[in-house]
Amino acid sequence: MAIETKPKVLLVDDDSAITESLAPFLERAGFTVSVAVDGQDALQRIGSLAPDLIVLDVIMPRLDGREVLRLLRQAENQTPVILLTQVGEASERAMALEEGADDYVNKPFDPQELVARMRAVLRRARPGEPPLATAQRLASGDLLLDRRVRRAWLGSEDLALTPKAFALLEYLMTHPEELISRDRLLDAVWGWDYPAGIRAVDTRVAELRKALGDDPSQPRYIETLPGQGYRFISTVEVVP
Amino acid sequence: MKRWQWLIALSPAVLGLILAAFVIGGRVANPAFYLRIEADPLVALTGLVLSTGLAIVLAVLGRVQRIRHKTLKESMIQATEARHRFLRRLDHELKNPLTAVRADLANLAVTGGPEEHVKALTRLQAQVSHLSRLVASLRKLADLETRALERLPASVGEVVETTFRVAQEQPAAQERRLTLSLPHRPLIAPVDRDLLSLVIYNLLDNALKFTRPGDAVELRVLENGHVIVIEVADSGPGIAEADMPYVWEELYRGHGARGVPGSGIGLPLVRTIVERHGGHVRLRSQPGQGSLFTIQLPKD
Repeated sequence: MAIETKPKVLLVDDDSAITESLAPFLERAGFTVSVAVDGQDALQRIGSLAPDLIVLDVIMPRLDGREVLRLLRQAENQTPVILLTQVGEASERAMALEEGADDYVNKPFDPQELVARMRAVLRRARPGEPPLATAQRLASGDLLLDRRVRRAWLGSEDLALTPKAFALLEYLMTHPEELISRDRLLDAVWGWDYPAGIRAVDTRVAELRKALGDDPSQPRYIETLPGQGYRFISTVEVVP
Repeated sequence: MKRWQWLIALSPAVLGLILAAFVIGGRVANPAFYLRIEADPLVALTGLVLSTGLAIVLAVLGRVQRIRHKTLKESMIQATEARHRFLRRLDHELKNPLTAVRADLANLAVTGGPEEHVKALTRLQAQVSHLSRLVASLRKLADLETRALERLPASVGEVVETTFRVAQEQPAAQERRLTLSLPHRPLIAPVDRDLLSLVIYNLLDNALKFTRPGDAVELRVLENGHVIVIEVADSGPGIAEADMPYVWEELYRGHGARGVPGSGIGLPLVRTIVERHGGHVRLRSQPGQGSLFTIQLPKD
């Protein structure tokens, strides 16, 4: 029987109140946690520690999280990174993803949600390959998504999606095989707390399914998990 | 204008006094002037002088008013910006402590303990989540005032109808008489569908919360020239006159709202969204006779 090793996580935040409370929680959830107190400290530790995952605060003194991420990716280091974002705006978060983060959670987050995202990112991680989150073009069967021109094709057909439907498909395709709650889709696609939201997500998913010709009872791409959310069930690949 | 500059206005008077002093002092040989003039140029000249004077007075008044208007507008914009800055800072400053508190609570919850501790922890977790959501909502409400909307031509009736069906599924809706009336032809307007749906949902949700079982709640969509009118009328207890001016403000909870769950964000969101669409909101209510919320949206 193989001994399952605990994933090594580097937790980077300048606020000791957060690292001191979060580190033990993550340890309990089954990770081996090291803590760095700012960006420079983080860069030094990444070299010696070789973590499986980095949980990185964005706003820090000396060297902020975004800069750490940029330096890391420039050095061809593809260690998965989850950003702890402070900023509530969707555009800011989109920028974080473009710079090579694998996911982000918005402070103040539910610690359980962070653990779920960490596990999902580790599952998705394919050593040495660029993460789906930063890829320009993604393909899944006949479906092709080009994030640079914000368009999607099914075979040769241009899908002419609305911006919201495109963003939804983009998020689903960058998180394949992952159960995504409606709240999380709202946060990612709408970018703000949308009180009547569940229905808005459902309406847009319906719009997307119609465009994809996907039958909800026998889905090829988007599966509904009643009472829980949605899951993109088809394999996604990065295409040049 | 600086204070000393007003002294310039006194210069003709001072000059006149000096001349008069000369005349009285006998330095002018014949101190009487006789002016003889025909009536027609006199009358015409007087008219002209009076008109010029009047025009100057009007121009000055207009300018004063414009300046006052501009100052008022500027101070309103400044106040709004200051409020945004405050909310952003509050949101920012609360994020780290709230994150740490949530992580600590989660830690404690995993360690277990006596039953009353577990119960207290569950309550604390719920309250902290509530606080987190509240701060985020306030910040997002402030952001909504400036963020770009995704306005695309859409059938307003269709958006209203879909939202109505969602609201109908609420348990409170089963106990009230809900009706929907739509115009015969589709009304197309450039709207952000998701936000318009939120407006309708919040108004209906509000009506359901503040009415009693058996009350009527009516959602109507009408067309009035270039304006789309959406009304939510109810036969509930109405809103006290003292509360009326404040219901659109953040976190305001009227006297009738005590004991009714809510965030104090619903109606401010409605107003902000409608105004961002170039529309208006209005509320009419009579205690004991129900309330009528009206929103007007331009068709183009």
